[in-house]
Amino acid sequence: MVREPIDVAAQVRHVRAPEDGATVTFDGFVRNQSHDRPTLYLDYEAYESMALAKMREIGAHLHEKYRIHCVAMVHRLGRLEIGETSVFIAVSAPHRAAAFEACRFAIDTLKRTVPIWKKEYFEDGAVWADGELPPAPVATPRAKPAS
Amino acid sequence: MPLVPSRTAGYNSPVPPVSQTIRVKVLFFGRLKELAGQAEDSIESTEATTIEQLFALYAARHPELAKYRSSVVASRNQEFAAWDTPLRAGDEVAFLPPVSGG
Repeated sequence: MVREPIDVAAQVRHVRAPEDGATVTFDGFVRNQSHDRPTLYLDYEAYESMALAKMREIGAHLHEKYRIHCVAMVHRLGRLEIGETSVFIAVSAPHRAAAFEACRFAIDTLKRTVPIWKKEYFEDGAVWADGELPPAPVATPRAKPAS
Repeated sequence: MPLVPSRTAGYNSPVPPVSQTIRVKVLFFGRLKELAGQAEDSIESTEATTIEQLFALYAARHPELAKYRSSVVASRNQEFAAWDTPLRAGDEVAFLPPVSGG
């Protein structure tokens, strides 16, 4: 979790090793619009101690589930301008299939479970981005919404 | 039905435990931080014994919070927690709106 620009090349160098055959990366960056409204910039905040714990859990899960070598996962906080990288994930593996699958799983899980929030700033105001409600334990059975 | 200690116990009910005052740290994030008017609080309470009751204390003070109850997830000591989780002294409870990282 960083507040400075993410050095994506350094992250890739960090995960790749001679015994690997592939590195798959995900570079998430700030879009210039949201629902057709031009975005000025974004501001990210996190529940840092929990976010780090959740990101480590994702990393551990990747190593259990996929034949991969190394994972780098970085999220930036604070004010980010259009085009700046907010999240970067790099997964190295001996073979590409595992690296692709693990990288996809990592970003999808991060977006659903890691306590990070972004506020979108527009010409005429700011809104908290629509997010996903993380799955939490339910002690008493509840009806599931029909879908 | 959730099991909640009855406060209207009859004469033949067991004597309720002596109420204990516990201190918990409470954190609000994102939109909830704005609605609660604070990011962090430390509360000593005999009234709230579960996460749900703790949220209700703040919702009573900030009615806007109550409206968002269905889109709030709680955590206890950095783990997502059910609403009926009992509070223990020294807990760190956070109220989290839908997450939007990435």
